[in-house]
Amino acid sequence: MKKNTHNAFLFDAFRCIDCRACMVACSVENKIPMDKTRIWVAGVGLKGEFPSLERASMVYHCMHCNAPDCLSACPVGAYSQRPDGPVVYDPKKCIGCRYCMNACPFGVPHFDYDKGLIDGAFIDKCTLCTQRIDIGLEPACVATCPTDALTFGERSDLLKQAHGRIQAHPDRYVDHVYGETENGGTSYLILSQVPFGELGLPALPSRPVKEVSEEVMGFTIPFALGLGTVLTAVAAGVHLYNQKKEADTLKLETSEPQTEETI
Amino acid sequence: MKLQITLHPRLHLKPLVVILLSLMGIAFVIAMLRYANGIGAVSNLSNSYPWAFWISFDLFTGVAISSGAFLMAAVVYIFELKEFRPLVRPSVLTGFLGYMMVVIALLVDLGHPERIWYMMIHWNHTSVLLEIGICVMSYLAVLAIEFAPVVFEGLKWQKFAHFIHRFIMPFVILGVVLSTLHQSSLGSLLLIQPTKLYPLWWTPILPILFFISAVTIGLSMIILESSLSSRYFHRGLEIHLLEKLARVIPVVLAIYLVIKFSQLTIAGDLKYLFTGGLMSVLFLAEILIGAVIPIFLFSIKRIRQSAKGLLLGAVVLLLGMILNRFNVSWFAVQHPDPLSYMPAFMSNVHYLPSLPEVLVSMGIFSAGILAFGLAVKYLPVFEHEEEGRKTTS
Amino acid sequence: MPSTISRRDFLKVGGTAVGALLIGQFIPPQVAEAARASGLLDATNSGYISSMCEMCVWRCGLLAKVEDGRVVKLEGNPDHPHSRGNLCPRGQSGLMTTYDPDRVLIPLIRVGKRGEGLFRKATWEEALDLVARNMSDIKQKYGAEAMVFSSTHNLSQPLFENLLYAFGSPNYGTQRSLCFNAMIVANLMTYGMEEPARIYDDKLSYILLTGRNLLEAISTSETHDLSMAIDRGAKVVYLDPRFTKTASKATEWLPIKPGMDLAFHLALLNVIIGEDLYNHSFVAWNTVGFDDLKKEVSQYTPEWAAPLAGISAETIARIAREFAAAAPHALAHNGWRTSNFVNSFHTQRAIGILNALAGNWGVTMTDGGSEESASLGQPPQPPYPRISALRLDGVPWKYPVVPLKIGVFQELRDNIVTGDPYQAHGWFIARQNPAMSLPDRGRTLEAFGKMDFITTIDIIMNDTAWFSDVVLPEASYLERYDPLMPIGDKIFIRQPVIEPQGEARSALWIYKQLGERLGLGDFFQYTDDQDYLRQQLAPLGVRLEDVRVKGYIGLSETPHASETSEPGWNTPSGKIELYSDTLSRVGFPGVPTWEEPPQPAEGQFYLLTGKVAQSTQFGSQNNQLLHKYSDEPRLWMNVKTAKKLGLADNDLVEVTSTVGRIHIKLEATQAIRPDCVYLTPGYGHLSKGLTTAYGISASDSDLHVTYTDPISGGQALSQTFVTVQKI
Repeated sequence: MKKNTHNAFLFDAFRCIDCRACMVACSVENKIPMDKTRIWVAGVGLKGEFPSLERASMVYHCMHCNAPDCLSACPVGAYSQRPDGPVVYDPKKCIGCRYCMNACPFGVPHFDYDKGLIDGAFIDKCTLCTQRIDIGLEPACVATCPTDALTFGERSDLLKQAHGRIQAHPDRYVDHVYGETENGGTSYLILSQVPFGELGLPALPSRPVKEVSEEVMGFTIPFALGLGTVLTAVAAGVHLYNQKKEADTLKLETSEPQTEETI
Repeated sequence: MKLQITLHPRLHLKPLVVILLSLMGIAFVIAMLRYANGIGAVSNLSNSYPWAFWISFDLFTGVAISSGAFLMAAVVYIFELKEFRPLVRPSVLTGFLGYMMVVIALLVDLGHPERIWYMMIHWNHTSVLLEIGICVMSYLAVLAIEFAPVVFEGLKWQKFAHFIHRFIMPFVILGVVLSTLHQSSLGSLLLIQPTKLYPLWWTPILPILFFISAVTIGLSMIILESSLSSRYFHRGLEIHLLEKLARVIPVVLAIYLVIKFSQLTIAGDLKYLFTGGLMSVLFLAEILIGAVIPIFLFSIKRIRQSAKGLLLGAVVLLLGMILNRFNVSWFAVQHPDPLSYMPAFMSNVHYLPSLPEVLVSMGIFSAGILAFGLAVKYLPVFEHEEEGRKTTS
Repeated sequence: MPSTISRRDFLKVGGTAVGALLIGQFIPPQVAEAARASGLLDATNSGYISSMCEMCVWRCGLLAKVEDGRVVKLEGNPDHPHSRGNLCPRGQSGLMTTYDPDRVLIPLIRVGKRGEGLFRKATWEEALDLVARNMSDIKQKYGAEAMVFSSTHNLSQPLFENLLYAFGSPNYGTQRSLCFNAMIVANLMTYGMEEPARIYDDKLSYILLTGRNLLEAISTSETHDLSMAIDRGAKVVYLDPRFTKTASKATEWLPIKPGMDLAFHLALLNVIIGEDLYNHSFVAWNTVGFDDLKKEVSQYTPEWAAPLAGISAETIARIAREFAAAAPHALAHNGWRTSNFVNSFHTQRAIGILNALAGNWGVTMTDGGSEESASLGQPPQPPYPRISALRLDGVPWKYPVVPLKIGVFQELRDNIVTGDPYQAHGWFIARQNPAMSLPDRGRTLEAFGKMDFITTIDIIMNDTAWFSDVVLPEASYLERYDPLMPIGDKIFIRQPVIEPQGEARSALWIYKQLGERLGLGDFFQYTDDQDYLRQQLAPLGVRLEDVRVKGYIGLSETPHASETSEPGWNTPSGKIELYSDTLSRVGFPGVPTWEEPPQPAEGQFYLLTGKVAQSTQFGSQNNQLLHKYSDEPRLWMNVKTAKKLGLADNDLVEVTSTVGRIHIKLEATQAIRPDCVYLTPGYGHLSKGLTTAYGISASDSDLHVTYTDPISGGQALSQTFVTVQKI
């Protein structure tokens, strides 16, 4: 059974008919409660004025970024990334701080706002169906898509395919595969016939969003040690200076005329 | 004849205390509801707004206004400017209670408050929030140690008080380091959202800007706390000391403005100053109220030397800087667009804090005020240690 | 900004089970044993078992994923031609239908008044005895014809028909006249078959869709085919008054005025014949009646059609030329639900003829085959009794060319009410929801009122069950065997992958039990479900166990009756009939003819209905998984029109027709013609036993007026006009 070195999805917005079979399949496969979802529809939907109308939508879920921001941000390391791509969340470590929700540029992680302490409130997001891909199956959403809008495989192959489709139909697609470089590259690649912003996708640079944060964090310990050293030195210096000044003043105040010596 | 509320023949309470106690009680009940039914049951937080009022008010503002403690500790113990000693204990108390309120607020906001200590054993070293968590918890311990002598003196355990006082220095240094780290790190929290925080605020030097403004906030808090204490507890006001602090504020604010506007210029974001709609308004407001006007006010000797003037300047600065904290953590942060049109599991793309949400914060804040009042009443907060006992290093 | 069911609304409505899908039952032991024996299930009782979906009539093959002896997921069967490995959203939600908390799992006997929903539980013995007794009483007192039987297309239909014919009643109500009578009868007249099959290959370059919202009314494999054709670059021209999802993918969307498809197609014929663009040799060899056709369509110019259809003459002419140029790799899709206007029959004739003129037989169209494989066996049975009574639905005495097996359901219902030519007294309903599907719900309820006895077989307390006297719980499609299903050269099995819950039983069992109690046991000579299947397989010399393993068997020999090497059409002339002598003999036009459709008056709107991918007709709205991902069903109205009427998005409005009125929320949208309103059928359930669906939106059946096309018997669903005002 061939395993991919980098698992990825390709979503073709031109093919998607917004039937939501992928969502139902995901809900059943991953036993998602009725009031939650790991996939949802995004996009402006209907555009234009009758009868000049357009419609576009996309299936939105975790992008499984190459440089995951959620992973970078989580204080307790509840996120990890497998070498073959999937970003995995571990509820056992989670403290429910929801910083990952802020960090994710795509707004993917969802939280159990309706669960108290007993039931336990956790984050939920797409897992790339690791239980399926590890036994050679496609993720549930991909397997069921009636129009092959969702396909799955080796990231480099999918990129080739995607560019191939753009070349084969130059008037059809925006000449870019979203996720190829965004945020350092993601494992959810998107082809679209409308600007990606209309599908609800943010414009992101190719430099991973987390890099600045991580660079600054890298300074923490050296800075702390440095500052501590400096402060200790300053405190010692000030104290010695003040001690000397006090001693001088004391000497001045308590010194007797040196009568013995003058005689 | 002072107004008192008599609940019981022996129990005479001032009306303010009753209000504070009521707010605390309400907050407690709401917190219990939150624990039973989830955060969504008492707040309007949602998948679009995972952080909003609680984080902006309890965490960002709460930490910022507790910054007076490390400043005074540094001034008095590291730089040995002993004349400011009367200000140390109240500011340490303010800081201690401030951080206590932050932790209590986190216990309500965190999904798993019972796991708050995980930050001590599960470390993701790239996480800004981890650094803040560790620093806050450690600094709370440091503050406890710094304030312990006051408690011990109150209990007439002089020996313990002096013991701690002898070894206070390493803790002061640790406290300054920790404070510097996390006051700046609150700004670093937003570094991972470059596409979400409006360009007028996002910059890689956010931590530096946060630290500098935290210094001014701390100084203003000392002025504020002294003013209110003098009024409410009928003591004198050390105007001569506060005036000296107030002299520093315009300098620090000026540095802040220079750095801020240089950063905007270099980044090419000056253009948003007037073209950003609501964002521009918010930014200009925080700069005006939090920096420009206080520079002006505190530059005038007459204002600096009057109790009313000091209070006015401090309040204006605090309002402006609190607006800055709210802007950075909430108002200027882009939340998911209502582009997702089905299903509305990402509900509440429009957010306003719910009443229970605000009441929880009010209750925690009330507890802080009440604790401050009790400490002042029963502990020697406003007395410094007896003259003649000098530490030797 | 479109808005949908908010999370809070959902929680209000679907009070039960906010948890995940709760999976309970094991696989029936026999199935598990067989699966283990053939290696489908491993030692931990995990693996895949093949069966068939029933969430709609496309019947995709599915693979039930079993873990520890329980089905946890449904996948498409790659070997099944209808699914090819995919399942649509309804197919994926099938487990939720089986595990719906509102399932009826024990026979119920009414105790309160009809429509109160008060039932008491009963044993099968008692319930079946009661039903049989009542049916026999009615037969004795009023004759077998006083018993009406109705059922919608399903795999057990042969046994249902068995019961019907053996009982001796002629009154057979199917849903077909509410759906595709126009298409079927037109095809029968033109091609001698109900529905030719369509071939989507790489060369297909031009597709003309008249309605047939394939990308929302998902028929998995065909939806895939159409989508791939579009993806390849084929041109798709799509006629629909609404901007559906198919419209959004089509190359060219024409927002045609309702009722005017006929004008459009007649004009196409006019151009193709007039400009000599048709396939001469094909027409010469394989059709009859060309001259009559030519004469008729010569008047239907694009200029004539343009103002009627609201499409420019240039466009009509261009499309005709494009279609002809692409021929034979062009396809005019014959649609499916074609019961729109009284003139729809002629539209369907025109479409069929268009294909003939393009000469695409064998290229993009071919024999559809029949669902009754000549090769399958069946249990022995005596001949049916002779039935002399007239049918209540007017076939054939009022509707001479409507096939008996299809009938005119709305006429049947009407004559139950009128009692003309005689009064019906009993109604036996299986897998059907006439309370929601028939137009003019008030009338249907009136018809119920005339019944002495109503029995319904259903899996859930659907609306018709709600009004019945006895509800017999059928096992859901994942819990039962059904007769084998032939498709092409394969025969597929439906086998239970979940042990039937409660007292639910298969239709095979129910019909036999009833049959025996009615003294008709000879017509049900099988011991149990599996025995029936074995008897079906007997002539093929194939074991049931073998079919189970793959889920199907391939037929190497025994060609279908219709699979012959040369083209041939089962018409009186043996050719494609452009002119139908049969039609003219009974007084109908022999060629497609213009018939002016009615139009709404000032202030009225066409009431349109259609499909969404997340529900199937009238039975799936209680499925919580589908409900979760459904858009809120509101009344579509064009934004400009709404503004003129002073209506805003989300306003509650009253919609009134001549037979009823409903209250529904408004959706102001750009995606519909200004003279039309639309709502999704299947909501506005009356049954409180549907705890998820009850209370949502409103029903189109309350508004639809009954209009029947005299030729095909089809109900004209889009001919109802309504007014809309704010409440």
